[in-house]
Amino acid sequence: MNKLFVAELKKVIYLRSTWVFLVSSAAFGALNTSATAFFLGSEENFGMPGVDTVQGVESVYANAVSSYLFALIIGILIMTSEYKHGTAVATFLVSPKRHRVLLAKIAVGATAGFTVQLISYLVGVFAGFITLSFQENVATPSTSSLLNTLFACLISGFVLGIVGVGLGALIKVQVAAITGAVLWTLLVESLIILFFNDIGKYLPGGAITGVLQIEVGGPPSLDLEFNFLSPGASTLLLLGYAILFSGIAALTTLKKDIE
Amino acid sequence: MTLATIEFKGLTKDYGKNIAVKNLSAEVFPGRVTGFLGPNGAGKSTALRCLLGLVTPTSGNSTINSSKYHDLVDPYLHVGAVLDSRGFHPGLTARQNLKVMAAASGVDKKRIEEVIEMVDLKDAIDKRTKKYSLGMKQRLSLATALLGNPEVMVLDEPANGLDPIGIVWLRQFLKSLAKEGKTILVSSHQLTEMQNTVDDVLIIHKGELVASGNVDAVCAGRSLEQTFLDLTSKAV
Repeated sequence: MNKLFVAELKKVIYLRSTWVFLVSSAAFGALNTSATAFFLGSEENFGMPGVDTVQGVESVYANAVSSYLFALIIGILIMTSEYKHGTAVATFLVSPKRHRVLLAKIAVGATAGFTVQLISYLVGVFAGFITLSFQENVATPSTSSLLNTLFACLISGFVLGIVGVGLGALIKVQVAAITGAVLWTLLVESLIILFFNDIGKYLPGGAITGVLQIEVGGPPSLDLEFNFLSPGASTLLLLGYAILFSGIAALTTLKKDIE
Repeated sequence: MTLATIEFKGLTKDYGKNIAVKNLSAEVFPGRVTGFLGPNGAGKSTALRCLLGLVTPTSGNSTINSSKYHDLVDPYLHVGAVLDSRGFHPGLTARQNLKVMAAASGVDKKRIEEVIEMVDLKDAIDKRTKKYSLGMKQRLSLATALLGNPEVMVLDEPANGLDPIGIVWLRQFLKSLAKEGKTILVSSHQLTEMQNTVDDVLIIHKGELVASGNVDAVCAGRSLEQTFLDLTSKAV
């Protein structure tokens, strides 16, 4: 099992695209925290809590979690690359006991997702801090909110790395799987959370927001109200998604013929 | 009497109404190059994939050293296989691809240099494989198969994409492996070339074995190509 984990990890580390996604995710996190800090610090923030409030500053740093899409994509790549490049044959020849390969891929997906989100958190928080340092009357965030954000980043990276592996096993065509994941995360899921909050809080994005334990709202003029599950329930829900998608990966990989 | 290393026992694989391999029973012996011959679509690749545990047979079975591939301990150290030339990540160099395989199978990294030298790819070892020609990919496939220094080699159309010099090289290479006592099962649809390479043949047509045995005995003075045409024109 260790040998397979090392081999799968090498596949990820050797690929240039992994490093491109890692840098992109850090940049995305930095962009989100900086843009939020800039927007909330401006006078035209549509009446949302400004950076002179604790809530406003905490929402700046909470945006460091937004790179979880990249953890999902790396998970997808770990699985779909095998089918796209025909390496599945060689992989399963080395280890015909496919459950071992799958466990190694899931472990590497979780590790890669965790790492991506840890780096995104560090870079995002740093970028937010730098942007806020150019503004006046900035409130100080609580230590617990920064720790909540760190936990949300790590658990979301861990879980979505695994979800990516499962999604890649289900939709073996790489472009389709990545396009679907991007559309889902950036568009469909966001709209469901926005307009059907009672359903949205059970989706991965809703559960990640639940882990963050921050007050989420929109401009007062829109009169939006959001409810999310408690951090504990959200964490359990995310782990449930990891188990569900591991099961999907097993169903779609263990018995099927490799042509 | 020498014991067979590879055995097919009533192997059948169908995809609904399409029968890819039908009741294949055959043996492959060590120290010999055995050609698994037949036209494209005859069922060679499917039979080899069943042998290597990639495809589940509908009935029957196939074994290597009396075990199913799935049940072999460290199969990579016993069986080297080349199933197609797409088995590499194009974004990785040959060295990186081999490092991944070595890590997964527990083979010492030093072996990478040895196998790369054996297949004459030393100058291209640090090139990304997307820049490789088909012939270079075939050589790299062979290097991958040799990584675990296995006693059994299963090669599916290894001559595809090789130039004439490469084909001569492959012929000598396979013969030298057989001389070391290894069991070589090589599939091909290039009958003329195989006549100069193989010691034994298994000829398959429309999923069924139509002849097997020593190549000289099967051909009985005819060319392999003519023998094949004679056999398949009789086959239903």
